[in-house]
Order: sequence, then C-alpha cells, then structure tokens
Amino acid sequence: MNKEILQITGMTCAACAARIEKVVGKLDGVSNVSVNLATEKAAVSYDPQVTKLSQIKQSIEKIGYKALDAEKKGAVDEDKLRKEKEIRTLWTKFIVSAVFCVPLLYFAMGSMIWWLRFPIPAFLQPMQFPLNYALLQIFLTLPIVIAGYRFYTVGFKAILQRSPNMDSLIAMGTTAAILYSLYSVYQILIGNFGAVEGLYFETAGVIITLILLGKSLEAVSKGKTSEAIKKLMGLAPKTAIVLRNGEETEIPIDEVEIGDEILVKPGEKIPVDGVVSEGHTSIDESMLTGESMPIDKKAGDKIYAASINKNGMIRFKATKVGGDTALAQIIKLVEDAQSSKAPIAQMADIVSGYFVPIVFCIAAIGFLGWLISGESLMFSLTIFISVLVIACPCALGLATPTAIMVGTGKGAEYGILIKGGEALESSHKINTIVFDKTGTITEGKPAVTDIVTAGGLQRNKLLQLAASAEKGSEHPLGEAIIKDAEKENIELLKVERFEAIPGHGIEVIIEGANILLGNKKLMGERGISLSEIKAKSDRLAEEGKTPMYIAVDNQIAGIIAVADVMKDSSAKAIKKLQSMGIEVAMITGDNRKTAEAIARQVGIDRVLAEVLPQDKANEVKKLQAEGKKVAMVGDGINDAPALAQADIGIAIGSGTDVAMESADIVLMKSDLLDVPTAIQLSKSTIKNIKQNLFWAFGYNVVGIPIAVGVLHLFGGPLLNPIFAAAAMSLSSVSVLTNALRLKRFKPYK
Amino acid sequence: MKISIIIIMLSLVVTLSACNQTDVVGNASITSFKDIINAMQDKVTQDEMYGGWALTSPGGKERFIWSKDYSVSAPHDVMLEFDAKPFIDAGLDVNRLPAGMLIGDKIMVGTSLGNEKINYTGEATPVSSYEKIVKLKRDHIKYHADLDHFGVDLGDGNMFEWAKNMSTNDKDIVFALNPQMFIDAGADPAKVEGWAFAKVKVMDAGGKPIEVDKLLKPFNLK
Repeated sequence: MNKEILQITGMTCAACAARIEKVVGKLDGVSNVSVNLATEKAAVSYDPQVTKLSQIKQSIEKIGYKALDAEKKGAVDEDKLRKEKEIRTLWTKFIVSAVFCVPLLYFAMGSMIWWLRFPIPAFLQPMQFPLNYALLQIFLTLPIVIAGYRFYTVGFKAILQRSPNMDSLIAMGTTAAILYSLYSVYQILIGNFGAVEGLYFETAGVIITLILLGKSLEAVSKGKTSEAIKKLMGLAPKTAIVLRNGEETEIPIDEVEIGDEILVKPGEKIPVDGVVSEGHTSIDESMLTGESMPIDKKAGDKIYAASINKNGMIRFKATKVGGDTALAQIIKLVEDAQSSKAPIAQMADIVSGYFVPIVFCIAAIGFLGWLISGESLMFSLTIFISVLVIACPCALGLATPTAIMVGTGKGAEYGILIKGGEALESSHKINTIVFDKTGTITEGKPAVTDIVTAGGLQRNKLLQLAASAEKGSEHPLGEAIIKDAEKENIELLKVERFEAIPGHGIEVIIEGANILLGNKKLMGERGISLSEIKAKSDRLAEEGKTPMYIAVDNQIAGIIAVADVMKDSSAKAIKKLQSMGIEVAMITGDNRKTAEAIARQVGIDRVLAEVLPQDKANEVKKLQAEGKKVAMVGDGINDAPALAQADIGIAIGSGTDVAMESADIVLMKSDLLDVPTAIQLSKSTIKNIKQNLFWAFGYNVVGIPIAVGVLHLFGGPLLNPIFAAAAMSLSSVSVLTNALRLKRFKPYK
Repeated sequence: MKISIIIIMLSLVVTLSACNQTDVVGNASITSFKDIINAMQDKVTQDEMYGGWALTSPGGKERFIWSKDYSVSAPHDVMLEFDAKPFIDAGLDVNRLPAGMLIGDKIMVGTSLGNEKINYTGEATPVSSYEKIVKLKRDHIKYHADLDHFGVDLGDGNMFEWAKNMSTNDKDIVFALNPQMFIDAGADPAKVEGWAFAKVKVMDAGGKPIEVDKLLKPFNLK
C-alpha cells in the first residue's frame, strides 16, 4: 500500500470534502481516503498495483477540484505562495465587489430607508425612472457577479453532478434573486412600473460580497491555524557551508549529501542532522524540543537541523539530510496529525454530506408552502433565497479540523508532538496514567546522592579516593562517582595498582594505601566491620539507593550512595495529574522496595514493581480491563509494547525515530510537566471542537427556521436575505476565530 | 476581470447618457396621454388666452391647460382651471386666496415651466406640446404607482393625472388639488361639492411614503 498526501484546491465546504472522499474511495485499489477541509489535503492509501496516483488525481479533477502533489520538493514554498495568492485574489475580489456593492446598496436601499434621506439623482428615482434605476443596478451587480463567478461555476457544476455544496446554495440563492429581478426589469420594460419594487439585485450583490468577505477572512484565519507548521518549515536554513577538497563551499541545502563535512560558525543554524567531528559549542535546540537551555556539544555528539550554534565553530558530518532529518520528520508528523480526522469529526462529516440537499428541500418546501398559503411570489422567493443563503455547511466542515490544526500546532510549539486527531481526542478521556520509572520519572543515569564518612576521613578525601579508584571504570556507578568529583573540582590521584573483583567491586592502591570499593559482600569477605555505619547504610537502602562501601587499609572509611535521581519536574507533574483527577501509577522492573521508595518521593501510590519489559503491556491491559482509560508514559524503546497497548502512548524522547513511531504523543523536551500539558491541551481542543460544533449546528438549527419564516408565522419579522448572508459569513469566521483562541493556550510551568 | 468591469462601466455610461430611450415612464406617459386626447377629441381645444391647449372635463367645469410655447406670457405653463362656486359654497373666502388665483368665477392653479421658445417640427399638436414637457421638463411628469396613473405636477401638490391604461382603470383622468390653500382660506374641504376629499399615498421629496389630503375629481371616460 502506498500513502500519498495530495493538495486539493477548489474546496469550499465540508460537502466538497465528503464528495472527494466518496469519489476517490470508490476507486479500485483505494483502501482509505481522508480529506481535510482546513488543511486542504487528502491522505490517500492505495495499492499501486491496482490503481495509479494519476488516476486518483484525474478522478478528483473530474469532479471540479485540483489535486497537486503535496510532498514534492519545494512544495512547501509553492503551497505558501499558492495560499498567499489565493488570499490576495479573494481580497481583490472582495474589494471589487465591495466597491460596486456600496453604491448598489445605496441606490437600492436608499430609497427604502427614507428616514436617512439618501439623496438620489432625479434621473435615477425608482418610481419616475424605473428602467434607469434597474439598469444601474444591473451594471453595478455585474462586476460583483464576475468577482464571484466561482460560486456559479463550481456551484452549478456540483448540482449537475448531484453533489451540491455551499457554492451551490450561494449560486442558487443569488441566481434566483437575479432571475426574479430580470423578470421585474422585463415587467418595467412592458410598462409595469410597479415591478421596480421587485428588484433584488442588491440582495444578490450583497450576498456575494459578504460571502467573499467571509471567504477572505476564512482564508486568512485558515493560514493562521497552520502557522505552527509554517514556523517549523521556516526553521531550516537554505544553505550549508560544505568542506570539499579543503575548501569551504556554500551550497543549497538540497545538495548536501550524507557524509559531507559541514562547517557551522557561531550564530548560524545547523543545516542538516549530523555528528560533531571537531570543535566544541553549545547549541540551542529549543525550536525542536522547546527546551530553552543550550546544550553543550562536543565531538561525537549528535546535532540536529535548524538548531542554532551559539558560541563555537564546529565541523560535523552529515548523517541525515532532506526528508530524513529530525526537523523534517517532526514537520511530517505534525502535518499528518493536522490532516487526520478525530472521531468527533465523523458526525460533522455525516451531517455535512446530507446537509446541502436537505437545505435545498427546506428552501423549496418553504417557497411552495408560503406561495400556496397565499403569500406573494416575492415573499416566497425571499424565503427561498434566505434559506439557501443562511445555511452554512462550511462552518460545520471547519469546526473540527481547524481546532485540531491549532491544537496540534500549539502542541508542536511546546515540544509536544501529537500524532493525530484521534490521539488528541482520546487524551482528554484518560483517567489513569502509568509512568515507566527509569528514564521517565528518573533521569535514567545514576548519580551520587549521599556521601557518608567514617573513621574520621574528610568527605572530599573520601570522594577523591573513590573517584581516583574508579578512574577509567566503565561501570555506570563508577562513572557517577567520577562525575561528582569532577563537578566538585576534585583532583584525582594516581592509581598505583588496580584489580577488579567481578560482582563485588575493585581493589586499588593509591598513595600506598589499600583501597577497597564495592558492595557489602566485598566488605564481609574481607572481614571489615560495618557496625559504625550500619544504620545509615540501612536507611540508604530503604530509600532505594545503592550504597558503595569504601575501606582504607581494611578499615571502613565511608559510603558513597548512588541512585537514579528524580527529574526536577516529576513530582510536580504527578501532583498536577492527581489534582486533575487522574490516577497515577509507576511501572518498573526494580524490586518492590526500591520502586516504592522512588514512588514515595514523587507521590505515586500505585506501584507495579518487578515487571519484566515484556509484561508491561499486560499490566496496562489489566488496568484497561478495570475499565480505565490508560495512558502509558515511557521512553519509547523498551516500553514500545506497553505504549502500543495503552489507549494513549506518550513517549519521552528527543525526537528519535523509535519514539516517534511507537507513541501517540511524543514529548520532545523529556519534561514530565508536558504530560499534564498534553492532556490539558487535548481537553482544551476537544472543548473548542465542541464549542465550534455547537455554534455551527446551533447556528443552522436556529437560522434555517427563522429564514423559512417560522417567526413570521407567529407575527415576528421575516429574515432579509442580506442579513442571512451576513450571518452565514459570520458563522464560518466565528468558528475559525474560536479555533484560533486555542493559540492562547499556555503550558504548565 | 478588470477588462470585463471596464466594459460594463463604459456600457453604463453609454446607456445612461441615452436616458431618453430608457425613460420608460416618460415615453409611456406620452402614449397614454395620446390615448386620453384621442378619447376626448371633442374636449381638447386650443386655448387662445394662454397660448396652449385645454382639455375640458366631461362635466365641463374643469380644464387642464398646457402651454405650447413657454416664451408666451401667461400666468402658468401648465395649470388647472375649475369653478370657484363649490369652494365658495364650502366656506371659501376668495379674498384670502393668493393673488391671481381667482379669475372671474374660476380658480386657477398651476406653475411655470420656463421662458424658452419652443420649436416644433411641423405643426404643434396637443400631444407634441405634451411631448415637449416630457423631453424638456421631465421632472414635472410623475408616475403614481398606487393608481397606475401618470401626471403632470402643477406645483404646490396639485396634479393633473390620467390612467396609464384606460381599459383597466376606472379613474381615467383626475384633477387633484392640495386642499390646504382652500382650508387656509376658510373652506371646509369635505363640503366642496363634486370634489372628493380623500387621503392619497404619495412619496415625499425624499422618497418617504406618506399619506396626504387631496381634493379629487376623477372621471371615467369609458
């Protein structure tokens, strides 16, 4: 199966998206198609043996839309330019139509709004010069119709293809108004001057102008919803300085190849992913991870495209270029997420599919009903036009995808990559979160936590001896001691003799003294008494720490305890989740005592200890069997089965391929506070979607009956089609504006 | 799009500059006025006193007079002339009427259309003189939608109206007066014999639909 993303142009409402899905979905070999109105993209999964991409494109073009490759090189810029051009064109059309609409409205309504005393030249007085008056309106309406010609070409084509859309409603409504007005002009020509009151040109003109205004605002708002992805796209530099044959050559980023040696000066952006080969610097990776602190990089360290080289000149070898860089993958991930549909969108899609034909029926029934009841043709026609114009399938179509676009975009901005609408929607239902311990709650790297001295030895001396003894050790516990000594600027001593005692520790001679460093067993075997430090040793063990005993010349000199330390944000994040009513559990392969000690420190009550990696998924399954909606938070590699089993898998990682593939949500910063942020973002997005759907549905549910004359039935007012058009335009804009409110979302600190 | 709009605007300029062709009300009023003249041939005469034409009502007590040449000295170029007696009987104090309104036993209301010499191709006829009003003084020609009447505005709310289509209208010609000046001069408009005092829907100068009092004397010619 191949999956292609196609850029679709020409869609105006949810009915268009539904139509494309229906037509493409019927093609042999197409297994799945999802069209997103907000991103104007179609994700098509198809069997290339059965159907070709060109056939899929043809089928889309056959029904009046254009399909372009969204992922071809340079497509980003083309897409940006195309959208900018579209916005410019829409604004031009709106301005042209507004320029003609204002005088049209002035002349048409001026004579009706007599109390405002709009002066009208004598030769245009409707009752005295009705033909002049009508001709002026025709001439003012024509440019507006030309500006809005697309409503007619697309709308009537859609009707002919029996898949009416929003354009069909506009086209039908305004055409009815124009045809009736032309009939009135004919009446004037044959001497029925009273027909001058039956001119509806201004209705058609104002409707088109307002819809064009709505479309222009919609296009601008749509552009804002995808700002996050644009920001990401804009991060990559355009060129790179490559060292070839000892010379520095600046080449376009597309020409960089894997293995190229690249030079990056201070202040410049890293052009592609790679490994530092020379130099030392600190790099700002905040644009990828959201982490504001620059990270030190030296030879052998990985660096990522679009991050900023802060202070040193470095050389690095390109390891990933083009679409394989971490940045490109993040962009793809966010784009895929924005193109995906949340389950909640399905209801809107189903409604949208039937919406336009139903509106046509309601308009026709309203028209005939009022006509049969004895109302005039003009009255009935007003009802017909109002119903067609007020109905707004576009608001329905935009309600969900725009919120998802802004929500996922906002997440990406904070280093929270949400892999789709479904993940976004499911996250808000989570009531249990299982955290992996190592590397998730803890840093995943042992560090010295306690230094206990005995026999009168100084603390720093003990650390100096221990670190000197462990010098050159590759054992993680030894590395922790050396790191701690380096941190305290302790000078290491020369080791005169070194002997490793497997499973126990080491024995070294430093400055003539015999140093033993190892576990309790080693001390026991050498007959070294631990009574002096027993109480402290027991306490450390209870706290889940690993005590390393140090003896100098067969006398206990102290303990250095090493443990995997908590991340700074762990306790705060867990407390926040608990305050949100979410049960928090910890899962680990550690023994229960150690696990419980860790859990206590961060405030977790439920501990799933001594669980083998392969059993983690089963533990998640057990929780799900209890009826819980479970999120699993892990590092995305050894926790992959559990991440997959959970309702939502949240990977803590720095954007590695595995993390991205295995989880529904990837936290780029490895900061646990992003877990409550992700859930809160999901809740905010779903709330926003519900608000949008409420407005979109509510608007139609209230607007259509008013337009059909229900209020008039009870002595209330009749809806003027002009106000119907204004309301219709406002509905889409209000839905988009509401979605854009999500941009104000702030993460937990 | 720009070219289309330019073409449309040029068309608008050309069309509106040829306003005479698009003046359907003016043109239709000529046709219907001609019908009225034809229907009342024996009642249409030259009016030597005022240098124009006079259409006398079937009752013989009212006349609509229109000038054939505005340069000829006359009190008005378009006017109504009617018996003063019913008004006097209704309480009118003729001394309180504006000067020049009462001529003998007749009251005259009207307005000047100008001072220019009017030239005709061929002989002047009642219809061609009316055509001159339409062409030269178009703002004095009105269409009254409620009654489907055309009319000549005689100023001060006074009109002479006629039906656009005599076959479908029961008020083929109407002498319409603003009663205010008679009320001001002491007449009770409701008591003016032979005239109907009624409310009529009209548009004011700003296009505002209003109801005004009128003294009406309609005639059905067919």
